[in-house]
Amino acid sequence: MTTFARRLTCLIVACAGFCTLPAPGSAQPPTLTLGAPELPVREVRLENGMHFLLLPRAGAPTVAFVAHVPVGSVNEALGSTGIAHFLEHLLFKGSTTIGTSNVDAEREVFRTMDAAHDSLIRARGRLPFPDSSEIPRFTERIRILEDSARQWVIPNEYDAILSRNGARGLNATTSWEATEYYVELPSNRIELWFALESDRMRNPVFREFYTERDVVAEERRARVESSPGGLLYESFLGAAFRAHPYGVLPIGHMDDITALSRREVDSWYRRYYGPNNVTVAMVGDFDPDSAAAMAERYFGSIPAGETPPPLLIREPEQRGERRVELVHDAEPELLIGWKVPSGYHDDAFTLAMLANILVGGRDSRLFRRLVRDDRIAASVTAGTTPSGRYPGLFTIQAVPLAPHSVEAVETVIHEELARLLADPPTPLEIERVRVGLEAARVRRLTSSLGLAFQLVESHSFWGDWQTTFLTQERMQRVDSNALVEAVRRYFVEENRTVAILRREGS
Amino acid sequence: MVITALALAGWVMAASAPGPGGDAPSPPLPDTLPLSGRAVIERLTFPPLVFEPPVALEYEVGGVRVYHLHDPALPLVDLFVQLRGGVGHFPRREMAPITALPSLVRTGGTRELAPDSVDLRLDLLAAQLSVGSGGGGSFATLNALTTTFDESLALFREILLEPGFDREAVEVWRGQELERVRRREDDPGGLAYSEFNRLLFGDHPVGWVTTESDLAPELFTDERLRELHSRLFCRERIQIGVSGDLTWAEVEPRIRSFLAEWPSCSAPLPDPVHPQLREGPGVYILDKEVEQTTIILAQPGGLRQEDSEEYFASRIANHLLGASGFSSRLMTRIRSERGLAYGASSIWTTPARWEGLVGAVTSTRSDRTVETLSLILEILNDFRAAPPPEAEVERALEEIAMGWVFAFESAAQIVARRMSYRAQELPDNWLERYLEGIGEVTPGAVHSVVRERLRPAEMTILLVGDARQFGPGLEAFGPVYRMHPDGRIEPWERDPHPLRR
Repeated sequence: MTTFARRLTCLIVACAGFCTLPAPGSAQPPTLTLGAPELPVREVRLENGMHFLLLPRAGAPTVAFVAHVPVGSVNEALGSTGIAHFLEHLLFKGSTTIGTSNVDAEREVFRTMDAAHDSLIRARGRLPFPDSSEIPRFTERIRILEDSARQWVIPNEYDAILSRNGARGLNATTSWEATEYYVELPSNRIELWFALESDRMRNPVFREFYTERDVVAEERRARVESSPGGLLYESFLGAAFRAHPYGVLPIGHMDDITALSRREVDSWYRRYYGPNNVTVAMVGDFDPDSAAAMAERYFGSIPAGETPPPLLIREPEQRGERRVELVHDAEPELLIGWKVPSGYHDDAFTLAMLANILVGGRDSRLFRRLVRDDRIAASVTAGTTPSGRYPGLFTIQAVPLAPHSVEAVETVIHEELARLLADPPTPLEIERVRVGLEAARVRRLTSSLGLAFQLVESHSFWGDWQTTFLTQERMQRVDSNALVEAVRRYFVEENRTVAILRREGS
Repeated sequence: MVITALALAGWVMAASAPGPGGDAPSPPLPDTLPLSGRAVIERLTFPPLVFEPPVALEYEVGGVRVYHLHDPALPLVDLFVQLRGGVGHFPRREMAPITALPSLVRTGGTRELAPDSVDLRLDLLAAQLSVGSGGGGSFATLNALTTTFDESLALFREILLEPGFDREAVEVWRGQELERVRRREDDPGGLAYSEFNRLLFGDHPVGWVTTESDLAPELFTDERLRELHSRLFCRERIQIGVSGDLTWAEVEPRIRSFLAEWPSCSAPLPDPVHPQLREGPGVYILDKEVEQTTIILAQPGGLRQEDSEEYFASRIANHLLGASGFSSRLMTRIRSERGLAYGASSIWTTPARWEGLVGAVTSTRSDRTVETLSLILEILNDFRAAPPPEAEVERALEEIAMGWVFAFESAAQIVARRMSYRAQELPDNWLERYLEGIGEVTPGAVHSVVRERLRPAEMTILLVGDARQFGPGLEAFGPVYRMHPDGRIEPWERDPHPLRR
């Protein structure tokens, strides 16, 4: 593999040697002066604004691709929730030439089908009651039309082309703030990625639209309606965020999903998917000069798109505890969240460190107290949710151990947070986390696909690919005073949202 | 890993095959493209992929087989200890203590060190250590920085060989398992898999479902745990893999020291019991008020993992039916064409020691349950009815051949694969043999294995969901039974709870 890892090795070795087995409680934590690893990332910015991060590394002849679009469910409006995620699905349906034998004929049917859908939406929204006779008629009409358009569809051809060329892990993900498309290919196939990806950027066709919408509805039933944890999290976010779109899951509300129109999706695509809004990372065994030339050749002539509008909405200050209860056919669970600043704030690193002190390992404070000593919980986790660009929540999730109640678990969590003020984290507690962070700096370099995600996400979040590699260093600088101050500032009752899942009748 | 010249040549040939446009030479592409999509893709050709796959070498140290692959890319070392033998070799009453053993070895401290001290040392060494079970045995892994590997290895050895079985750790584990038992009905998907195993495997370790009585405190005495430990964590049962930033010259003395006091096994293990799989059609309903029904159906497949034409054909059949993602028959027809499910896949297991299962699994909205089940059976019957088109088989072969390079992405992966072959008593050259075998599969061979082994009419069908929403028609798939979460089965009563609202 390349020399960058060995350069990093020297830094790690110095720290690891220094940090190994200090006398418990006696040593002052070391002052660390580590920087970003010297990764040979080549940046290519096309005239249309599209950005490429190219990181060659030796090893197996494979290349990981991640295309990052900084748009997610926070950009959605009420009534159209789930559109960012639905579009992610539709972008696997092909283009004007992939996935079809006659796109013009397909589009002709789309027009009729979409008109029927407009009628269906009117029937569903009729007041005072939906038009129950028209709804099945239009639903059936849409189904028949979509089936008739299928005569020209070559199903899953985008996937099939990549797969028969050895692709692995073809998929995509949509969060509150980003949509990411990823795949790995054998190194000699990289041009295929450029050809296919530029084609779907230029000429996407949202075929099999209404069938795929049903697929997304099934995805929601699996992840939310049929999942006690999913339902509780949805209730929790909805209670914590009354104005900010963090309050809605990226998959969207069921009634919104089932009303999304092709027109809306098309408009969304044009607003957010211009090349100027896309960053691509390639990591693996390839020649960066060739890749840069392909970037220009395939994507250079695509015109820049609109500049996406900024998100201005901010969650109003919380002025009192909020509690929400979900009754479901499942054993109890507990979620507690406190409003905290965004990932850009210095305190974000303090809070990440705090999560480690509380639940990072078997000897962390909450794990020890709840799971080991008092044995009133089966598990406990913590971290900042739901994402990072906007003020969010520091969340603690616990699963009570019967016969103990969620209230008993909640009480102990509050006691342990209060104890952080009276009995701040010791140098040893902090040292344990710091040493783990140091090793994590090496471990995060092991996977090409993992590195590609880190590069694009850092570029999108921080404006450069390097800053992500400084986050552990910034966490390592957090001291006990900062942790205590953060607890004092954020972990107050007025700033808190509590969600409890209960079985009916319990 | 040993790759013969033949297999490697075949792989390189496949990897350098022309792209979707065929093998005609294509004119060079202009600097900018007026065209896009199919016109461009069909003109692409790809250079050959030249790659010498790394090979994990096999050694013997103190009578123990050790596999090693040096990879200095990062200052990390992975050590993988595989222990053959587990739950499958013991009677039901030992199930929970055997299941607990790996976790208690990790969390119960050592004879000299309290659990807290072990955790503190691991944290300060930044070592990641896990002990678990799976695949009919147990395993222990260590991932450590090169600079702290020696101390980490010494602690790893102490944890594995001199467990403390701290009583508090035992009680924590029992409490967590009891909670898991209480919560097993919360997740309909997990419940469905667990109940389906119980239905098909019956009184066999795969079919056992943990109950409160399995977790009685008297089953976890220190004496019992130590006896089980002495039978499983012993020299004759282990093989070791090392990958990462140490050469064999550096590894060998460390492993020799690591193994020096590793005791012999106190007693042999009985042979694992082979399952008597349920045969014959039947629809089993586990009634649960959820919005989505989990559908699992399968029958005994009668095939093992072995070097035979039928086995290789079954791998391609599985690929086409439902193991190749979006392009598979199940996904294309259930998801892409009908929008009935988010995911659908085939089940075609081929264990090394007994015959596996063949079937399918998906989840769909409650009121489309019968429709979806009918569609799955139609897809299975279509698969039986005619040989797959040659292009479909060719595509599967290309996918497998072209993607083979991903089998060499990390040294740890290469070492673990070689160990896995040995544990399953497969030949060391199984990788190349597999590739050769797959490459020889024809549409006729696929059709033959499908006709012989895939029998939709004989499948056991499990539905976990809201029975009131299913609608009529289930009786067409076999006798209908109500299944209770405790495993009891009774005929489905038509009233007062009919299969329709």
